[in-house]
Amino acid sequence: MEIVVGVGDMKVSNNPEAVIITYALGSCIGVAIYDPFVKVGGVLHYMLPESSLDPGKAGKNPFMFGDTGIPLLFKETYKYGATKNRLKVMVLGGAQILDQGGLFNIGNRNHTILRKMFWKNNVTASFEDVGGVVNRTLKLEVKTGEALLKISGNESRKIPWI
Amino acid sequence: MDLDIIIRKIDSLSPVSVTGSKVMEIISNPESSLGEIVDVIKYDQGLTANLLRLCNSAYFGLRVKVESISQAVAYLGLTKVAGVVMMASLSKNLTAAQKGYDLNEGELWKYAVSSALIVQSLAEKRNLGNIPCLFTSALLKDIGKVILSTHIRDAFQQIIIKVQKEGLTFLEAEKEVLGIDHAELGAMVAEKWRFSPEMVFIIRNHHDPMKILIGDDLSIPIIYLADTVCMMVGIGGGADGLAYRYYQEVMDRLDFTELDLQKTIADFWEKNKSVEEMINISGGH
Repeated sequence: MEIVVGVGDMKVSNNPEAVIITYALGSCIGVAIYDPFVKVGGVLHYMLPESSLDPGKAGKNPFMFGDTGIPLLFKETYKYGATKNRLKVMVLGGAQILDQGGLFNIGNRNHTILRKMFWKNNVTASFEDVGGVVNRTLKLEVKTGEALLKISGNESRKIPWI
Repeated sequence: MDLDIIIRKIDSLSPVSVTGSKVMEIISNPESSLGEIVDVIKYDQGLTANLLRLCNSAYFGLRVKVESISQAVAYLGLTKVAGVVMMASLSKNLTAAQKGYDLNEGELWKYAVSSALIVQSLAEKRNLGNIPCLFTSALLKDIGKVILSTHIRDAFQQIIIKVQKEGLTFLEAEKEVLGIDHAELGAMVAEKWRFSPEMVFIIRNHHDPMKILIGDDLSIPIIYLADTVCMMVGIGGGADGLAYRYYQEVMDRLDFTELDLQKTIADFWEKNKSVEEMINISGGH
């Protein structure tokens, strides 16, 4: 069973039949987390760094923004019995157009907000593939935690993150 | 690579319908009035039915159900109706999968419609005069990919090495390896289909906005900006990814701040569901 995480979206599942997929991460960031003990996984696909841009929109959909989406992703897996110390974390995306520098480099800013929040909350990613000029697609198998990364134009490859 | 083989493939595209060509002529000709579109499309039942379905889609958020072309014009205005007509007329070449670019069925069309809608909204905010022409150019700017796709697949390793190792854009790598890039090829299609010189120029230079940065014309900067937004949020992002050049000067020329960029991305997300619906209707799904 495929569970698709759209742009500005989050899904968590402990259904052993489920494969959580998020397509075409450009400058957006995809965060995947997995607890191998209770076998629950979740994926967030956020577009922009901070909800202060538009609190109204963030209220309607907190998954658009890194600062509101990331805590919700973790909290949602706790409901299924996941614990922070067991959670494996993976970060993908944050790409940029060639020579896109400074404030307009939203891919980089999406990554920066995540790093700040992880540092503050003592979270370390076991796998990161961030930046560059590529699109990334992620598949996460809930039963095993096996994750596949596809960079557009290339074949999928297994990610060593568990 | 024999360039002639590639160029000859332009003839393999499905031609624009007679009605579509007439509407295009009206849009392209500054002497004609957009109102003439109504007279042209009312005799084309298939197009009219498709047009009405699109006008009634959630994207436009009309409170009444539009049942005739004149009603559609009254509620949406001629500019939007012209865009919708072009959408209904041009989808057939753009919906198939393009494996060379690693695009599945519908992805190139989604890219085309999304960038055209972003162009429309940016152009409306700036009161630009030639919106149907910009809309149509945005819809068709990547038609060259349809022809180039199989050649890209065959030469992919050579192309991607140039992008990854030499820092070329995907477009530059296409040109070096295949002798032509998708923008140039798209312009040739537009010429063949007798689009206006303005549209041909836009399609040819949609990745090269610096060419016209002097002067008042905002056509290419607006199209370039919409393309930038699409690439960043992963719409239409295939094997070429985000491997195109970014020009801060274009943003400055449009007085477009990074906050504006973020807001445009956020606004587009809000419409995403209704855009999907439009894409499905216009793509015949």
